[in-house]
Amino acid sequence: MVTAIGLAAGVGLVMGIIGVSQGLSDAQNKALSPLNSVGTDIIVTRTVAPTLSTATTTTTTPSNGFGGGGGGFGGGGRSGGGGFFAGGTSSLNSSDDAALAAANSSVITDLAKLGPAGTKFTHDFFVPGTLITFPSQAVSTVANVKGVKSAVGALSLDALHETGTVPKITASVKTGGQTISTSVKAPVLTAAEQATERTCIQNLITKQLGSTTTTIPGSGTGGGGGFGGGGGGFRFGAGASSAFAKCLTPAQKAYQQDVVVPEQTVNEVLNPPTTNTSTSTYTVAGVNPADTTSGLVTKAQLVKGAWLSSTPSVAKSQVLVTTAYASQKGLKVGDTLTINKVGYRIVGLVNPTLTGDVSDVYFSISNLQTLSTNSNRINEVLVSVDNANDVNAVAKAIKKALPGATVLTSASLADQVTGSLSNARKLANDLGGALALVVLLAAFLIAGLLTLSSVSKRVREIGSLRAIGWSRGRVVRQIMAETLGIGVVGGVIGIAVGAVICLIIGAVGPALSVSSTGLAVGASKVSGLLGQTTSATVARTVHLTAPIHPLTIVIAFAGALLGGLIAGAVGGWRAARLAPASALRDLG
Amino acid sequence: MTQILNDDNRERSTGDPLYVLKGVTRTFAKGGVTVNALRGIDLEIARGETVSLEGPSGSGKTTLLQLLGALDTPTSGQIRFDGRSLEDESDSVLTDIRSREIGFVFQQFNLIPTLSAEENVAIAMVPRESSHEKRIARANELLGQVGLAHRLGHLPSRLSGGEQQRVAIARALANSPEVIIADEPTGNLDSTNASEFMALLDDLRQQFGVTIIIATHDEDVASHTGRRLRIRDGSISSDTTKSV
Repeated sequence: MVTAIGLAAGVGLVMGIIGVSQGLSDAQNKALSPLNSVGTDIIVTRTVAPTLSTATTTTTTPSNGFGGGGGGFGGGGRSGGGGFFAGGTSSLNSSDDAALAAANSSVITDLAKLGPAGTKFTHDFFVPGTLITFPSQAVSTVANVKGVKSAVGALSLDALHETGTVPKITASVKTGGQTISTSVKAPVLTAAEQATERTCIQNLITKQLGSTTTTIPGSGTGGGGGFGGGGGGFRFGAGASSAFAKCLTPAQKAYQQDVVVPEQTVNEVLNPPTTNTSTSTYTVAGVNPADTTSGLVTKAQLVKGAWLSSTPSVAKSQVLVTTAYASQKGLKVGDTLTINKVGYRIVGLVNPTLTGDVSDVYFSISNLQTLSTNSNRINEVLVSVDNANDVNAVAKAIKKALPGATVLTSASLADQVTGSLSNARKLANDLGGALALVVLLAAFLIAGLLTLSSVSKRVREIGSLRAIGWSRGRVVRQIMAETLGIGVVGGVIGIAVGAVICLIIGAVGPALSVSSTGLAVGASKVSGLLGQTTSATVARTVHLTAPIHPLTIVIAFAGALLGGLIAGAVGGWRAARLAPASALRDLG
Repeated sequence: MTQILNDDNRERSTGDPLYVLKGVTRTFAKGGVTVNALRGIDLEIARGETVSLEGPSGSGKTTLLQLLGALDTPTSGQIRFDGRSLEDESDSVLTDIRSREIGFVFQQFNLIPTLSAEENVAIAMVPRESSHEKRIARANELLGQVGLAHRLGHLPSRLSGGEQQRVAIARALANSPEVIIADEPTGNLDSTNASEFMALLDDLRQQFGVTIIIATHDEDVASHTGRRLRIRDGSISSDTTKSV
């Protein structure tokens, strides 16, 4: 019985450990490989490379197909750039850079555009962050790659939500008051001009003074001793000067008009307008309401409420919100999110995958394209492959078909997941197999030792059997049969113990935390520059279970039986080899 | 020479002695020292005899009992049992002889604690009888003969010492042996049970014609036997046959 209990303990322990190991594996499959669950094996994006230095060296040497200098794919983008893939290389080229800058430029708020000073405003800006948008034509290109089962376009954007009051913007600039000194030379008159001017003046004087003849000095104009000067000379009336001006030559008149104040720069310090603008960020994404099985979020991940309506006119005013964002903002199904003065009804709460591109709010993709002025543009292609084993090969093929594309596989995304589950799974990966083997060996050894011990206590009994005519073989067979029986009993009890252990683990369900930020696809370079974090972080708690698989039972049971049988054979043979005389008193 | 038929129809010749021992020695090496347990035993035991082996501890009586019971072989000399030499036989032949012709009764009874009385008797028949039902039927019959018909299903732990001894006797008789070898059979019994045991052996001897060899310290037991062998220092010091 002790042997059976020992075996049972071993079997139970083996089952528990294998169960936990399997549970961790299942938890990882559940939490860390969620792309499979949404039918996505590969995500194709175009991100800003971490080093932009190579961008300047990129020239337009298009590869086949894609990235043709202008007419090719991506050539006709907006904002004069949009040269997605235009360089035909994996590095960001200048047109990519320009497209990205243009796409993100709207984030700089021109408050004056929002209304007169004092106007309360709320506005949401949608920027692609580090994910450059590209024409949705890329979807069909990806779909044509061999091994691709399906390709779905998606749009994932960062949103800046700003509220505040348009400030009064005034600037006072004082000008004038300065003394301007300039010295210029009067133009030199020709002899004819002098004669004409003199005659004109003389006539004028004659007109004013009657017949008095005055001789006009021969040269100079306005000279010191000229007319108008002198102590005993005559004086012109008030209207004389304007009449007199008529006698000036055109050159003299022009000279008077063209005296220009020298150019001067006035520097004034302006106090910036005080505003109460506050900014919050969130992430948005577009999904195809008609496609419930693939996309950034799928109907399977709907936790509460309903999916977006498949009728575009209805879906236009609907959104899905993640459970994390809903709890953070106190939102529930039926609430209305107002974005740029348009209300969107929250129809459902979703719990999207940990790895993938996680957003806070999901619109219908056409809706988001309109909202963010990204008509027919996307920034992600979600790909599912025909054969899961070909993921890496297909990823390579896509990269070749779309030079410059960032191609992420579920495996590379899973690396971004952190948390205790990840650690536990790593531990299980590192130690789990060895641990199960060690425990199995321990159970095996325990079974063996207990059986040997039990057999050695039965030397007298075995000696008696030998004395009354049992052969060695018969004794060994008998003991093996007994240990087999003990093994079966121990195994059955052990399976029950193991099942209880697994059930307890499942009932207690130790929490394993998993967290992921959509680093690869969600982080925004622009928002990073603004000191904001817009990548949505999803934390999920996975409860550990210890599932019981038939194979586990078979392994544990076989281990117990084998241990018992081998130990029975060894112990039985050892005992049977003793002289049957051991049954008699002096040896017994 | 007369022939008698036992209940298993085995033919027995009654004229020849059951045992013939000539110059039998047995030495053991114990801690590098050779111990001469038996020093040249010459002995004949006739069929149907009741023989007691007496002697102090270490005199060699248990060693002699082991050789007579085909549990051991001599270092030198000859042992003929029922017309066959035992000294050079293999373990499997000796095992076969034990299962067929020799019954044992041990001082500690050596019953298997997890088996009932009838099962303890039946296991002795396992090498010779494949039918479980037949073994159990025979066990029941034998237990009835030793007065334990009402204790068939009891475990040894629920039987008294005397009852356990009777189960052991029934087990020794299971294969209708030529000889029953008993090692201090009354060592663990009180005097009443010891007397009953001897009376039972007498009955069985008369009923089955079986030869009985008993190693004992008990004078009462020895006095019940027809022949008393005293052993000292590995040799037979006296051999007395009671006159009938």
